[in-house]
Amino acid sequence: MTHPERLAPVPAPADSAPVVPEHSRHALAASILAVAEFQLARLRSPLRLLMAGMGVIFPAAVMLAVRWAAAAIGNGSGENLDAGREITAAIGMDRAMAATMLYALIPEAVCMLGLLVTMCPAVADELERGTWIHVAVRPAGRMALLLGTYLAAVLWTSCVAILAAILAVLVSGVPDPLPLIGVLSGLVILSALGRGALFALPAVILPKRALVASVAVALVVEYMAGFIPAVINQATVSLRLRSLLVAWMGWRYKVPADMRMLVDPQPPWLQVTAVLALSAVLLAVATAILEYRQFPPSEEI
Amino acid sequence: MIVSEDQEARRPMIEVVDLVKHYRAGDGSVVRAVDGISLEVAAGETVGLLGANGAGKTTTLRVLATLLRPTAGTARVAGCDVRDDPIGARRRLGYVSATTGVADRLTAREIMQSYGRLHGMADDVLADRVAGLVSALGLESFADRPAGRLSSGQRQRVSLARALVHDPPALVLDEPTTALDVVGARDLLRLLDRLRTEGHAILLSTHRLHEIEHRCDRFVIIDGGRVVAQGTPAEIVGPHGSLEAAFFAALGTEAAR
Repeated sequence: MTHPERLAPVPAPADSAPVVPEHSRHALAASILAVAEFQLARLRSPLRLLMAGMGVIFPAAVMLAVRWAAAAIGNGSGENLDAGREITAAIGMDRAMAATMLYALIPEAVCMLGLLVTMCPAVADELERGTWIHVAVRPAGRMALLLGTYLAAVLWTSCVAILAAILAVLVSGVPDPLPLIGVLSGLVILSALGRGALFALPAVILPKRALVASVAVALVVEYMAGFIPAVINQATVSLRLRSLLVAWMGWRYKVPADMRMLVDPQPPWLQVTAVLALSAVLLAVATAILEYRQFPPSEEI
Repeated sequence: MIVSEDQEARRPMIEVVDLVKHYRAGDGSVVRAVDGISLEVAAGETVGLLGANGAGKTTTLRVLATLLRPTAGTARVAGCDVRDDPIGARRRLGYVSATTGVADRLTAREIMQSYGRLHGMADDVLADRVAGLVSALGLESFADRPAGRLSSGQRQRVSLARALVHDPPALVLDEPTTALDVVGARDLLRLLDRLRTEGHAILLSTHRLHEIEHRCDRFVIIDGGRVVAQGTPAEIVGPHGSLEAAFFAALGTEAAR
C-alpha cells in the first residue's frame, strides 16, 4: 500500500470554480443515466442472465407444446410439425388464437415477471447492500435512484420480452409474422412502462415486502379492477393494452358483444397517451414518497 | 458586518443547534434518539463524536446527511439548512459509513465516476477529479480492480474517495474504522489528518477512542441523545489521564471508578 504521507494533496478544482454544478435538468438527467447504467451492469449477473434466457424461451416453449399437442391430436404422433400446423388451424389455433395466447404470455406474463425482478427491489436492494445512504446523500440521489432503476427495468424487461415475442411468433408458425411481432413489441414497451411505474409504488412504500405487495397490486389492480366494466378500469394498464391489441389486430368488429365491455373503443393514440400519462403520475407519486421517506438506522438490513 | 479572515476560517462548516429527533417504534412508543444536541465543526477542524451504542451518534450524523429529518432544532452544512435546503447541504457534504456499500462488480474508478455523475459533474471535470483522487488517496495499485476483490481497508479508501469526489468542504464519518485492521485504520486516519490540514471540516464518530485521542481538535460526548461533555482534548482528557477514562467519567458509569 502506498504510504499516505507520500501522497499528493487532495486535488482542489483548478480554477477554484465549484466542481459540482448547480442543480439542473442536465445534472438530473446525467444522474438518472448513471443509475440506469449501474443497474443494467447489475442485471448482467449470471443469475439475471439465466432468468432473462428463461423469459425469452418460455413463451416459445409453450407455443411449441401447443403445436405438438395439436399434431398429436391430429395424427397420433408429435413428429410431423407441418401436419400439426394444419391440424392446429383446424382446431382453432388460427392467427387470432395465436395472437391472444402470445399477448397473455408476453406483454402480460413475461413483462410482469421481468418487472417484479427488476423494479420491485429498487429501494430494498440499496438498503440491503448498504448503498442507500451513499446514493441518498447526493443532490438528486433519491429521484435518480428511482427513475434510473425504472429506466433500467423497462429496458431490460422490454429487451427480454421483445426477444421472446420474436422467437415465440416464429415458433408458432403464424403466417405473416412481422406485423404480429410489431404489435407485440409495442404492447411490451407500453406494458413495461405502465407496470414498471405501478410497481414503483410498492417499491418505495414497502421496500422490504415490495415483491409480495407488487404481486397483490398486480392481481387487485390489473387483473380484478382491470376487468370490471366501470370507471375504475380506466386507470389500469391492462384495459389499455387489451384495447390496443383489439385495435392493432383489426378485431374491433369481431369482438363478441359480451366481451366489448372489456375493451375501450377510443382510438389507439388515446390509449397510448393514457398509459404514458398514468405512468408519469405513478412515477411522480412514487418519487414524492421516496423523497419524503426516512429509514432509521435500525431498518437497514 | 466586517468579518476578519480568521473569523471566516473559523466559521462553522457543520452546525447543529438543539437538534431533536424522535422515532415512532414498531410498538407505537416514541424513541427519543436525539434530544437537544448542539455542536459545531469549523473548517480545518476535526471533532470526535463519542458515545455508547444507541447514544444518538448515527442519528445525528444522518440528520446532517439529510437522510433523516429533524423533529426540532436545526442542522446546517456550510450554511445550508438540511430542512430548508437539503440539496445545498448534500452538495457540500461527504459521507462515509462503517458499511462501505461499494458495489463488488465495479472498480474503484467506476464507483467514483458513477457517484460523480450523480452530482451532475461533467465528464472532463470528473475524469480529472478521479485521477487526482486515485493519486491523492493512494488507490493506484487497485483502482481498476473490482471492489469485490479489495481488502476492507482498500474498500474504505474507495468509500472515502467516493465521498470526496465532488470536493465537499465538510466530511461526516460514521465509525469509518470499525471494519479495518490496525494498519488500515492508521492509514485512513492519516488521510483524515491531511484532509483537515487542507481545510475540510471533519465530524467523526467512533468507538475506538485510542485511535482518535491525539487526532481531534475537540470531542463531543453524548449519552441518551444529549451532550454530556464537550471541549478540547485538554479540557476533556486533562483531569482523567486518558480519553477512555474521561469518556466513562462523562457517562458516569461504573467503569469510570
